[in-house]
Amino acid sequence: MTTKNAGTPVMFDTVLVANRGEIAVRVMRTLRELGVRSAAVFTEADAEARHVREADTAVRVADYLSAAELVRAGAVAGAQAVHPGYGFLAENAAFARACAAAGLVFIGPPADAIELMGDKIRAKERVQAAGVPVVPGSSGSGLSDAELADAARRIGVPVLLKPSAGGGGKGMRLVREEALLAEEIAAARREARGSFGDDTLLVERWVDRPRHIEIQVLADGHGGVVHLGERECSLQRRHQKVIEEAPSVLLDPATRAAMGEAAVQAARSCGYTGAGTVEFIVPGDDPGAYFFMEMNTRLQVEHPVTELVTGLDLVAWQLRVAAGEPLDFAQQDVTLSGHAVEARICAETARAGDGRVDFLPSAGTVLRLHDPAGPGVRVDSGLAPGTEVGTAYDPMLAKVIAHGPDRATALRRLRAALADTVVLGVDTNTGFLRRLLAHPAVVAGDLDTGLIDRDAAGLLPPGVPDEVYAAAALLRQDALAPRPDPGGWTDPFSAPTGWRLGGESAWTVHHLKAPGQDPVTVRVRDGRVRIGDAPPFEARLTVDGPRALLHHEGTVTAFDHAGEWLGRDGDSWRVQPHDPVAAALRRAAAGAGGDALTAPMPGTVTVVKVSKGDEVTAGQSLLVVEAMKMEHVITAPHDGTVAEIDVTAGATVAMDQILAVVIPAAADDEAGAGDPRAADPSGATPGEGS
Amino acid sequence: MAAPALSSAADPASEAYRANTEAHTELSSALRDKLAAARLGGGEKARARHVARGKLLPRDRVDGLLDPGSPFLELAPLAADGMYEGQAPAAGVIAGIGRVAGREVVVVANDATVKGGTYYPMTVKKHLRAQEVALDNRLPCVYLVDSGGAFLPRQDEVFPDRDHFGRIFYNQATMSARGIPQIAAVLGSCTAGGAYVPAMSDEAVIVRNQGTIFLGGPPLVKAATGEVVTAEELGGGEVHARTSGVTDHLAEDDAHALSIVRDIVSTLPARGAPPWTVRPAQPPAVDPAGLYGAVPVDPRTPYDVREVIARVVDGSRFAEFKAEYGTTLVTGFAHVQGHPVGIVANNGILFAESALKGAHFIELCDQRGIPLLFLQNISGFMVGRQYEAGGIAKHGAKMVTAVACARVPKLTVVIGGSYGAGNYSMCGRAYSPRFLWMWPNAKISVMGGEQAASVLATVKRDQLAAAGEKWGEDAEEAFKAPVREQYETQGNAYYATARLWDDGVIDPLETRTVLGLALTACANAPLPTPDPTAPGYGVFRM
Repeated sequence: MTTKNAGTPVMFDTVLVANRGEIAVRVMRTLRELGVRSAAVFTEADAEARHVREADTAVRVADYLSAAELVRAGAVAGAQAVHPGYGFLAENAAFARACAAAGLVFIGPPADAIELMGDKIRAKERVQAAGVPVVPGSSGSGLSDAELADAARRIGVPVLLKPSAGGGGKGMRLVREEALLAEEIAAARREARGSFGDDTLLVERWVDRPRHIEIQVLADGHGGVVHLGERECSLQRRHQKVIEEAPSVLLDPATRAAMGEAAVQAARSCGYTGAGTVEFIVPGDDPGAYFFMEMNTRLQVEHPVTELVTGLDLVAWQLRVAAGEPLDFAQQDVTLSGHAVEARICAETARAGDGRVDFLPSAGTVLRLHDPAGPGVRVDSGLAPGTEVGTAYDPMLAKVIAHGPDRATALRRLRAALADTVVLGVDTNTGFLRRLLAHPAVVAGDLDTGLIDRDAAGLLPPGVPDEVYAAAALLRQDALAPRPDPGGWTDPFSAPTGWRLGGESAWTVHHLKAPGQDPVTVRVRDGRVRIGDAPPFEARLTVDGPRALLHHEGTVTAFDHAGEWLGRDGDSWRVQPHDPVAAALRRAAAGAGGDALTAPMPGTVTVVKVSKGDEVTAGQSLLVVEAMKMEHVITAPHDGTVAEIDVTAGATVAMDQILAVVIPAAADDEAGAGDPRAADPSGATPGEGS
Repeated sequence: MAAPALSSAADPASEAYRANTEAHTELSSALRDKLAAARLGGGEKARARHVARGKLLPRDRVDGLLDPGSPFLELAPLAADGMYEGQAPAAGVIAGIGRVAGREVVVVANDATVKGGTYYPMTVKKHLRAQEVALDNRLPCVYLVDSGGAFLPRQDEVFPDRDHFGRIFYNQATMSARGIPQIAAVLGSCTAGGAYVPAMSDEAVIVRNQGTIFLGGPPLVKAATGEVVTAEELGGGEVHARTSGVTDHLAEDDAHALSIVRDIVSTLPARGAPPWTVRPAQPPAVDPAGLYGAVPVDPRTPYDVREVIARVVDGSRFAEFKAEYGTTLVTGFAHVQGHPVGIVANNGILFAESALKGAHFIELCDQRGIPLLFLQNISGFMVGRQYEAGGIAKHGAKMVTAVACARVPKLTVVIGGSYGAGNYSMCGRAYSPRFLWMWPNAKISVMGGEQAASVLATVKRDQLAAAGEKWGEDAEEAFKAPVREQYETQGNAYYATARLWDDGVIDPLETRTVLGLALTACANAPLPTPDPTAPGYGVFRM
């Protein structure tokens, strides 16, 4: 068995990757390159996941968050070490200790360092003592509500309330008015308690138009600590990073060196080993004034941009350090070459409304997948065709990273790569990110963490392009093509020609609907397409496997397609068939006050199970009418709300008497149904990275 | 069967080809104009009124009923053309065969924009014809009802006789009895006798606040009993769906009603396999577009009918039977859209040999269960002492007998002349072909106009001569001209189609498509199986 920092370093034989998704796949890639066997863990929901398929062996666990399960898996797989990835238990000192106790090397910093840096308040005190500048804020742990409010007033609004135990921006609350402090503190505590089981809060000055710049550090167990330059992660929404790059346009070499040195000091101050990240907040108008925010004691989601500009494999170095190897290079050997930008592909649906954009978690099955390739392009992905993107785990599916000799080239390559990224079957933010990268401020490098929240609405396409409806209708037209009988004969009545006597065919009508859009009627006839009441235009579709080419108006537009999905330039659309009759009936029912449920025969109401205002699901029994010694259960005809309940138990009712009225849920938009997370825009899920 | 492929001898560079093309182009453009006009039904104002009531136009109802993209083989779209002072385009009813929920069905849809959908004599005839098509081919019937009943001013022509209004309901009952489903959607009025269309159906839908069914409307009720009642109270959807039970489904609007009908049709048992062996279709090897150039529009101009066959049948392949015998009748086997057919086509006047050949070939097809396709271009049987003495009447009778008694589906296309006994032996309307169409250039009458004028003039001249009177050339011409004119008018394809003597005038270029659909419709009905205990006769070699 290999023990950290003991004797001659020997690389592990088998490493348990205690994570899932793209990071597990990415760690396994390096393991493969190093000739180390990889062992995956998986929950029942992930049995078919890509990280399971790519591992040399895989062990089922009840939960990715159970240290005991993971340690057991390590033993089952015969692993000597555990790579925690990011998220889950990556920054859990207890897990690190449990690994050590079980004789497994935890590939990460010492448990004490994790514990120290995980406590935001102590971390701040420790690095401040080491001479690292920190954001003005509260000092001390376990502050009362009054002490927090006092500290906030002393610092001056705006302030940020942060859960001491949190990370990745979750549970943070920005307060701009002193009057709201008490209320916001209470809310932040509730949220912190709910998310982390610990409601300790701290308060910090809020820096307006701040830039998020972080320094990658690498430390061995022999006192060697280097920094690998910075990453700028200022493009965020709701405190979640979406685009990261290295280096930052904001820093000059002197500032970079100073910040790098501060980060090295921070790492030294906690006895750090392995790969870590020191996050700074930098006022956009004063890059010299950087403040320590926190240290992340693990590999970061955005580590690939550092790898691309330094040429180092950070996972390999994590393994080598964990195996006891010293760094074989010094700070002056580190050179940054060119520029790299990363985009996080997340399962989410952008919904514009009220001048802002909500990104709602999405779910689905990956029907078609294409990873981009090309010079300088790297993809770290946890997806495979058929992957079920559920709602239980982090919505991040993949990362697309582009490297180039300069920032402009890297951005161009990333945009092109995103245009070439195809994920059909689940909504993603790919097209949004592609447009974001073309935002003038992004192109100019004029970034701040509020940019997306301010400008997201302008980065959403206004609706579904006509070409998409035309292609969807023509695909459906193709699907109408008859199947010959076993002998090869085709019933001419089954050919969707719309043939009529006299030379003029009838339009074939396709009722289509994209989620969040009004239904659209698309008519197809003899190589012409008519969308709604607009004039018809010439259009035809050539289908070549997963590609469909729309020829129209002298141009050719290429789509990827799978099932009800069409994709192009990173955007994807689900265009579903729409039944106008069913929709009209639902509307009528809602307009008339919902579906009135009537007594099937004269009798007595024996049981009433719901009250007015109750949410009910289709088929749920609402009340029971007894008649002729038979019990008739009156059930909800659809999901909805009980708008009226007109009877009580014991009441005698006449035939056809109205008993209850149920207003259907989402009567005008069936697209929202089936998205279990649509109601929860925060999308808080375990295992988020930062 | 790798039958030999026909080729075309027509020369596209020839003057005749060019002239033929021009003449056919003109004829089919006139046909399209007529069809387009008939499609508009009762005109702009009536259509606007209809739509303003929230109703779908009848053709939109048909389109909405059919499966997306389904072809619709319309029957007699120019019925009543030129009749009733032009007041009844398409005779106020749309009829045809299309696909609903994967099944071929006959659709009959009243056009309420035409005199409120009331039944003119030709409306009745067209409705009955559609039912006959349903019966012959075992196709379920869907009636989209929106009609005020009989057109009262012509009650004598629509009410009392056997093939008048009442026959519609007789047919519904007897078809239902034979397992041919009868389905009605009441999308508007359904008054008096019309009330029996839904009432006689197996399953019926009515649209709330729109469809009404009553034996006597509110005015009649008031006159009869003094009771004042609205149409909706008297026979609206609520009444019939909830109280009377005359209908089975209550729809909110036309689209909903059509969707319910589609659901009903989807519960019908699937059609059986075609009663003959079908195979993958092949386009003709000889381009059908050349039909216009290869076929003279004047039935008197001779040409080889194989020019037509080559442009209609699969791969232009034709296995000819008795090619060297009775050459004025061309017979042989081919396929159209994958269906086997036995073709009987005129290539000149019928002689005794051609009639015998025809009778023999029809017997062959009947024995083999192969549908018959008659391509009719016939001025008649040969006349004269020699031929009468040779028994042409009995030889012709053999062919007529064979045609009349064949059990297999018969389809007739009149591609030129259809005169006299030639019409009978070539499966004219009286011989109950499953379908019969005419090309726009076709003519139909007991004899040609010139012959009729000459015959009548000869009789007249003989009478005058017997009376010792003289008849000048001018006078004779003045006598003959109106006869010629009458035959010209009444022999015209549109005169014929207006009166339901056929199932429609079709563009020659549509022949193959129409035949393919029609044969597919025919394939819904099984062939009568011969009774092994009473085998009858074998094929007579004539």
